[in-house]
Amino acid sequence: MFSFSKKQEVVSLCDVSFGGQPGRFPTVCFGGVFFRGKPKVDVVSDDVSAMYELSKKLGVPVVLDVFIRKSEYIVPVLDFVEEYVPESTPFSVDITDASVKLEVLKELDSRNLLDRTIYNSLHVGVTEKEELALKNHTPAVCLVVAFNPRDNSPDGRFEVLSSGAGLARDGLLSIVGEVGFDRVLVDTAALSPGNCSGAALSSLAVVKEEFGLPAGCAIHNVVEKSLWLDEFSDVRGVVDAASNAGVCLFGGDFCLFGSAASARNVLPVVAWQDILVSEYVQNYFGIEPEKCHPRMVLSNG
Amino acid sequence: MVNKGKPLVSVIGSFPASFDVHSCMDSYFKGGSGCWSKVVSSAVNQMVNSGVESVSDGQVRDIFTNVFIRGLGGCRVRERCEVVGPVLWNNPITLEDVRLTRELTKGSCEVLGLVAGPFTLLRSVVDLFYHDEKELCFDFARSLNKELKALAPFVDMVGIDEPFFSNEFPEYAKELLGVVVEGISHPVRLHVCGDVKEIVPDLLDLDVDVLSHEFCVRPQLFDVFSECSSSKSMCVGALRSDSMVVESIESICSHLRHAVEVFDDRIVQVSPDCGLRMLSLDVACEKLKNLYSAREAVFCG
Repeated sequence: MFSFSKKQEVVSLCDVSFGGQPGRFPTVCFGGVFFRGKPKVDVVSDDVSAMYELSKKLGVPVVLDVFIRKSEYIVPVLDFVEEYVPESTPFSVDITDASVKLEVLKELDSRNLLDRTIYNSLHVGVTEKEELALKNHTPAVCLVVAFNPRDNSPDGRFEVLSSGAGLARDGLLSIVGEVGFDRVLVDTAALSPGNCSGAALSSLAVVKEEFGLPAGCAIHNVVEKSLWLDEFSDVRGVVDAASNAGVCLFGGDFCLFGSAASARNVLPVVAWQDILVSEYVQNYFGIEPEKCHPRMVLSNG
Repeated sequence: MVNKGKPLVSVIGSFPASFDVHSCMDSYFKGGSGCWSKVVSSAVNQMVNSGVESVSDGQVRDIFTNVFIRGLGGCRVRERCEVVGPVLWNNPITLEDVRLTRELTKGSCEVLGLVAGPFTLLRSVVDLFYHDEKELCFDFARSLNKELKALAPFVDMVGIDEPFFSNEFPEYAKELLGVVVEGISHPVRLHVCGDVKEIVPDLLDLDVDVLSHEFCVRPQLFDVFSECSSSKSMCVGALRSDSMVVESIESICSHLRHAVEVFDDRIVQVSPDCGLRMLSLDVACEKLKNLYSAREAVFCG
């Protein structure tokens, strides 16, 4: 359990705050929908509603992460966002296709949704067109993926953020500032097992200590890729949920935990771990939890 | 080591990389971690198709020194290369790429196992830990020895790249290289680019099998070597690696004939002067093809 010597930035968006010293704000959980195939609103709506209800009950803030894989999915997915995501709540758009990114930004702007949007994500593959689109339609918060193909260590993450590692034209944090973001989250890029996968967790502390920025990762992706767990398929969900506790323990501020349908498994784990961290860091470092923290919300112990 | 047949067409190490950051990011988002195998395969195939008979892995991942600095414990690459703890070899650094090279060539070519020299690594880092150059340098040497031992089952020759010897030849050079190659039974090639005319006797005294220098950009080295009595085998640099101009077959033939006058049957390899990383792929391939043709004309005609 950590306290950082670098001043810790707090990124606030609508009713959610990321960052600060460990133990101050609760760990934010990103639950995703529409990973595969055509977006099926009726299939995921109950899971999303249940995730928000559980979030309120536990004091674990959630962000709906909507995958938009093709141009034709943009309208139905954003319609879904407008209908199911509470107006006081942020959401993130998770897009990998470069051309879809540009179209989504325009559509978000036309719907006046940019001020609630977390852009997932900017990385070393950023293009000039993407930079221009972001300048013209700037979401509220940028999630920067600190993946460095040359170096899977925490130092590799540092390098792409600060210099671009010779892959981007500049450090990703400079690019993010130039295109107009003043609020940044850093995803420390979980890699597959056998590829220094633990570095995503150890990088959380490095990013926070070196840059003071909110940091998190999708550590559950490592569980998904751990093939040996196929032999233990009955407990794969348990391991998947438990993996997120590592983010809290390593001082992280958010976890991208996979499908929103897993919220019932994941959120109690994160709440429990956050309480543990809070009790210790308040006792040792004097960090008071905010009123929204699970330790305060679940004050009956 | 006397060449009874024709010298092999070889490379010093690096080759233009066809790295595509966008496809690498696509692979990352799909959960893959292996975006380099395609790049290595492309480099190796291009070299082989251009006539190279003693082939490297192309050193495509990064600047050759950075590859080792990133891979060694106690070292890191952030905005500069730093030593922050005891230098340790924890895992093979280039083995994956060398094994792939061996698989791709299927015994049709010799495979080179290459390391950056310990003195070159010393001069490429900022030392924040040892505060004793020689101690740091020998720890690099011990680590590189472990790397070469890991590569040994998959290579036919090992190469040490020590460009900094041409700026500064340490009094402990012989002892240092002895540590690097201790227990290695393969032939050892030492490449020193730059102006080595002042240190030729020192180089000839080193316990390596083959010396490699940039005879193309510095043909006066032929005169210096011709004045020294030696039985050392040679890798003759015959292509400029700092020029986009493709040398004609005739001019390479003339250069190689001059080399034969000086070294006779001690020429075991002909190669570019240095790594080809900074050239375009087309130019690098054209140069190598002409080198192959010239070798055929001079040694097999």
